[in-house]
Amino acid sequence: MAEEYTPTILQGQQTNDDEILANTPLDTKALGGDSSVIIMELLQRFKVRDVMKRQIISVARNTSLREAQRLMRENRISGLPVCEDGRLYGIVSVNDIINALDNGWIEDTCESHMASNLVVLEAGMPISFALRYFNNYTYGRFPVLDADRKLVGIVSQRDVMRALLYELSVEIRKLERKTSNNVPEHATSERYFRREWAVVHNDLSRAGHAANDIKGILRERKVDRSVARRVAVAAYELEINICIHSHGGVLVMLISDDTVTITAKDRGPGISDIEWACRDGTSTANDWIRSMGFGAGMGLSNSKRVSDAFDIQSEIGKFTKVTCTFKLNKPAPSDQ
Amino acid sequence: MTIADVVKILDGKLMAGDGTSPRAVGAVVANDLMSDVLLNDSDDILLLTSLASDQAIRTAHIVGAMGVVVHNAKPLSETMLKVAADLGVPLVSSPLSKYDACVRLHDAFLAEERG
Repeated sequence: MAEEYTPTILQGQQTNDDEILANTPLDTKALGGDSSVIIMELLQRFKVRDVMKRQIISVARNTSLREAQRLMRENRISGLPVCEDGRLYGIVSVNDIINALDNGWIEDTCESHMASNLVVLEAGMPISFALRYFNNYTYGRFPVLDADRKLVGIVSQRDVMRALLYELSVEIRKLERKTSNNVPEHATSERYFRREWAVVHNDLSRAGHAANDIKGILRERKVDRSVARRVAVAAYELEINICIHSHGGVLVMLISDDTVTITAKDRGPGISDIEWACRDGTSTANDWIRSMGFGAGMGLSNSKRVSDAFDIQSEIGKFTKVTCTFKLNKPAPSDQ
Repeated sequence: MTIADVVKILDGKLMAGDGTSPRAVGAVVANDLMSDVLLNDSDDILLLTSLASDQAIRTAHIVGAMGVVVHNAKPLSETMLKVAADLGVPLVSSPLSKYDACVRLHDAFLAEERG
């Protein structure tokens, strides 16, 4: 299932982040197919720009290799980008310096012996891409370019790991807090059943997983078939919405004696016109999403249609939260 | 018309799931847009689609479909077969076009009605 991806080569054609994402689905196997959804979500949420070093020590093309050697020694680094006015021309490595000393061309310019056919990362790429690059190439670090192809940073494996470890510790603290605060209230209560699923941005290979789980749970709990179907439809539409429109989020199901509530909360762009977004056929989805069978602008309206109560809140640039409530042991709404 | 009948009628091949259910197909939904499929509230539907992805199977599971037929012999990925097997959704591949598949299924329904 996982497709091959083409590395971005500095001298190749310029690519765009959305194209890369669209053409390169997350290879969950390469990252550990059974990885925690939290880790998978972090790998997608964090971009290379979030973890790269922005302070770059560089040399010009006409700098001598001896000067480059001095800079490497003083700054304890093993490679120097050759860069002018933000444009990256190449990289001089310790190996280039060793060769220059061996062969007597240490006074030559960097341009004459630098590596110029470079594999680079783009600042907007998810760090899952960076991990794959480190896996597929032997380089210890990659130059990072922005959308204008200007050098904006350098990223090493250590940078990625440090950021991941930090964020994981934050997520674990959140989980611990939740365990000590919220879960016992529901988990120990016979009156409530609560379950939560993380939904990863753009990972359509997993999207729908939560809704399928929800349908299975409702079936096990012998919830009326038509109600279970309506809950699952809303959950599925909301899960797909989080996946394709937000930066990631969670889907929560809470079952009480007389209701099932599905809450979808995401971090993301928010919705500027909620009334418009809830109309049939209105969508901001792209062709890639449409090719997957979604993006026809039916998600919110479908969710609303099947729910007994529907609420949506959103803040531009921050979040969207949709809550669908279903009454148990109640016939479907008349328009079903 | 059972899933086993559908396989014969559409010159198809059962690729995943159990094709021996005695349950009869109630209606055929021929659609590539999953939100449209989710809108449908008929029971025991057969989903006929060109969407050869996990989402076709997941959608079929959500609406309790009898099975999924992917027409035009579109290649089916390993993950799609696995999702179908895991969720217990019979998955059939047919070489027919959507139009021809619809015509054959329609004829089969009419023949059933006539007894």
